[in-house]
Amino acid sequence: MSTNKILIVDDEQAIVRLLSMSLKSDGYDTCTAASGEEALDVFEKQSPDIVVTDIKMPGMDGLELLKRIKDLDPDKEVIIVTGHGDIDSTITALQYGASDFINKPVRDEALAIALERAQTKIRIREQLASYTQDLEEKVAEATVEIRRKSNFQRLLIHSSHDAIVAFDQDWQIVVYNPEAARIFEKRPRNVLNKMTIDELYPPQLAAFFRSEAKNKVHDRGEMPWKEMILETRNNKQIPVRYATSALHEKEEFMGIVNFFQDLTEIKRLEKELIQSERMAAIGQTVSGLAHYVKNILIGLKGGSYVVNVGFQNDNMEKIKTGWRTIQKNIERVANLTQDMLTYSKERTPEVELCSPNEIVTEVKDLVLDVAAANDIEITTRCDPDLGQMWLDPGTVHRALLNLVNNAMDACLQEEDPDRRFKVEIRTGKTDDGAAVFEIEDNGCGMDDQTRAKLFTPMFSSKGGKGTGLGLLVTKKLVEEHRGTIDIDTRLGYGSMFTITLPERPETGRDENDK
Amino acid sequence: MGKTILVVDDDPDVRSFVVTVLEENQYTPLVACDGVEGLEMILKHQPDLVILDVLMPRGSGIRLYRQLKTDDALKTVPVIMFTGIALRSFLKSQKALEEFKGEKVPEPDIYLEKPVEPQELVDAIRKKLA
Repeated sequence: MSTNKILIVDDEQAIVRLLSMSLKSDGYDTCTAASGEEALDVFEKQSPDIVVTDIKMPGMDGLELLKRIKDLDPDKEVIIVTGHGDIDSTITALQYGASDFINKPVRDEALAIALERAQTKIRIREQLASYTQDLEEKVAEATVEIRRKSNFQRLLIHSSHDAIVAFDQDWQIVVYNPEAARIFEKRPRNVLNKMTIDELYPPQLAAFFRSEAKNKVHDRGEMPWKEMILETRNNKQIPVRYATSALHEKEEFMGIVNFFQDLTEIKRLEKELIQSERMAAIGQTVSGLAHYVKNILIGLKGGSYVVNVGFQNDNMEKIKTGWRTIQKNIERVANLTQDMLTYSKERTPEVELCSPNEIVTEVKDLVLDVAAANDIEITTRCDPDLGQMWLDPGTVHRALLNLVNNAMDACLQEEDPDRRFKVEIRTGKTDDGAAVFEIEDNGCGMDDQTRAKLFTPMFSSKGGKGTGLGLLVTKKLVEEHRGTIDIDTRLGYGSMFTITLPERPETGRDENDK
Repeated sequence: MGKTILVVDDDPDVRSFVVTVLEENQYTPLVACDGVEGLEMILKHQPDLVILDVLMPRGSGIRLYRQLKTDDALKTVPVIMFTGIALRSFLKSQKALEEFKGEKVPEPDIYLEKPVEPQELVDAIRKKLA
């Protein structure tokens, strides 16, 4: 800071000159006045930092000058020069805000100390001012930054393709973006800070998120995305993916935020894609089918030849043999037609309360004759606790029969002469209550190449004896039941197919009931 | 009864058809369900001709054909291949096997692709046995 300017005021010219000279020699810049009135004039023109004034002056005295200066600028330091014992004036001067007093006659040391104190005060005040200004600037900067960030976040939420709805701790809606407005068909101004979760969501969903929030109080783990059919209060059904997060600040529940993704378009495209893939598959299928149909034709022709010979020779045995061939091939046509229909049509599982173990027994009974004729042992190991389940018995039956037939074919294709062939059907339940079926054989197994093509349309490893539709149909049925099919196989050692079917797949939207 | 002919085919319908054709034409039919059984029957009954399917479980026709053609005692047994597999695919598999095993077997003299009319089969048998 530069040297302070000092105004010296006294009606005695000699004192003014003496002090001025002394201060100048100490390096101060000085100006002078011989009266209060003149001092005010000089003060306004030269704006000194410190004023040293005699208290007793004709006209405007030192006290009045002090008052005027403090009125003009309270930051100025005013040092009052008093006579001995003038206590009353000293008190008044203090009340007016004088910074210091020195006694007459003015001694250089006393003046130096008073000036130093005044300067220190000025310095501290200046530092404080600059610090305050700094602080204000910093706050202003931070405010701009916070506003920018908050704007950014607001825009982010506003333009999100996910519907975002957030609730405070009282379940009042505090965030509700345009996508949410689109899905829930309510205007933001009617919703924001006006509605609670129960007014926006259908009762089931509201109850679900409330309980979800409670669960999350102790567990901060993010909830994974789930799918459901959202039934809005306008009775619209929208397939959505959703996620929810409970918000906490220092262990305290602040609210909850929900994200919804509208899957309507995706679901439609998926459906279209599956349908067109299936149609393409049917196209590829034609040549394979021709081959299979040709084989059936060979069977029918051969059969009718044998029947004819039987008629000509009056040989009942021949007629019976030929007729069996014809019947078997009629059966093959029937099965093929059914497979094709099953594969090309979309189908919703017809769920009813049924016993998986009973279906296993039915399937086993169906294949027992063929198995016995080929020296294959069929065994079952059923979970006795499985009981009745909500499944499509048709799907279970068809899938099991297909897989067991495949398993027996795999046994017939294995060339190990010493092997005792076995097919085992097992049932059980997963931890989340889905039915599990395992079909295991110790037949020929598969190499990686065969395995990779397993679900390719019209791929068959059975020469002309397979349509290449069996596993496809099985897979389609299982997937329509929202189940999965898995294969574990080793070439030369056998295969195991595992089917997992969840209960009541068509009522997925009721999952929240539980 | 005439000459003995062995039918090796895993499909009972094909067997009954071929057997009927053979009986109608005064041949004595023998049957085997797979390649392994086929070889046993050949060794046991020494048929005059073998009608052989290609794709069968447990000892395919391909294997049996090669066994016959590489065995000094059996290589003269006449064989008619009778199958749903196209000749082209069959020859391709033979070629691959030849490269793999380093031995060459003659191509089958008569290769009939199913479906075959009874008369066609009879003509082939007559030609082979003549």
